[in-house]
Amino acid sequence: MKTSKRKSWFILVAAIAAIAIPNQVFSQTVAVKSSSGSSGSAPQWTVQVGKVDSGHLDLAQSFQLAIYENLLEELNKTKKFKVVMREGDRKASEVPSLLILKTTVVKYTPGSETRRAVTTVSGATKLMVRTQLLTREGEIIVDQTVNGDVRFFGSNLRATHNLARNIAKAIKNANMATVRASYRDAQPPTLNADGAQ
Amino acid sequence: MNRLFALRNHQSGSFTGHALISLWALSLCCSTGAFAQKTPPSVNATAPFSVRVTHLLGWPNTKTNCNGTLSIQDNLLQFRQKGRPGAQISIASVQNLFLGEESKQIAGLPMTLGKAAAPYGGGRVVSLFAHKKYETLTLEYVDSDGGVHGVIFQLSKGQGEMLKDELVARGVPWSVSPDSGEDQPTRQSTAEVTRENK
Repeated sequence: MKTSKRKSWFILVAAIAAIAIPNQVFSQTVAVKSSSGSSGSAPQWTVQVGKVDSGHLDLAQSFQLAIYENLLEELNKTKKFKVVMREGDRKASEVPSLLILKTTVVKYTPGSETRRAVTTVSGATKLMVRTQLLTREGEIIVDQTVNGDVRFFGSNLRATHNLARNIAKAIKNANMATVRASYRDAQPPTLNADGAQ
Repeated sequence: MNRLFALRNHQSGSFTGHALISLWALSLCCSTGAFAQKTPPSVNATAPFSVRVTHLLGWPNTKTNCNGTLSIQDNLLQFRQKGRPGAQISIASVQNLFLGEESKQIAGLPMTLGKAAAPYGGGRVVSLFAHKKYETLTLEYVDSDGGVHGVIFQLSKGQGEMLKDELVARGVPWSVSPDSGEDQPTRQSTAEVTRENK
């Protein structure tokens, strides 16, 4: 009788431990995750997206504006920036920590949706752009060449969507600590009201 | 002899008449040509205008790839989806207008899946014929803060030109854009020319 009581007591303690310990571990992980999330990726910067420069290439205006609009949407989705501003936005001059995104088309291969549908292997629309994230002073923080194409299904304009998504991904993966350091170095020293630093 | 003289006189009178008529006809032709050159496109700049379009991207608070009606009324451009009034922009804020052409496969995803499922590459043969040419109208406008926006609409062939005429009649500047679609003749872009001139 005594041994059975002891056994049941032992089982109860084991069960409680089994339930409580993983929960505690889980909550710890969540806490760590949330704290790292809040400190590491808290949006502090504002980015202003510039219009796409087609360079010397004969890129349709619809493509240029599609890249621009898709970029705005994809950068908003990353939640990496406090505000994503458009080119020409007058409010940008008032923002203290502003980054400027410049996009220049390097290579463009016009494709054909019909050719893609008929042959599968040819007719891809390909875009290659150079994307630069700069400070207001012109210091380059991110400088990458990004591709975007549509190979099998979808209209030609889909290449612009894929390209914008890849640019946003590249910027998201860029080390924002470098951005912070670069920006701090680039900032002029702030002065108090009496002129002291 | 007298008779012959009279006949000659009569002939010279007729020649003068002919010359006068020819001169009058010529002047009439020239004046018509000049009039035709001066006449602006026959678009009533105040009458409301609407056209069925597919919104591809950029219009505020509107889903992409949705059908609707783009209407022009009282200096406002409005996109209506299923008759419901949507967002509207002022025509005065439109800075640029580009017209292009694109060839697309028809019937979307269901057709694509059907073609993929067709045996012996039958879907590829269908693809050869299952495409249609559309016109794309690209608008560049600025919002109240000065931010640049881009909107792209897809229209049936011929309607883009009509819409362009309506907008141009209301003072929107327009440029011919090199087409993004396939099998298109290359057209000179005035936008690029202006950029080069700057």
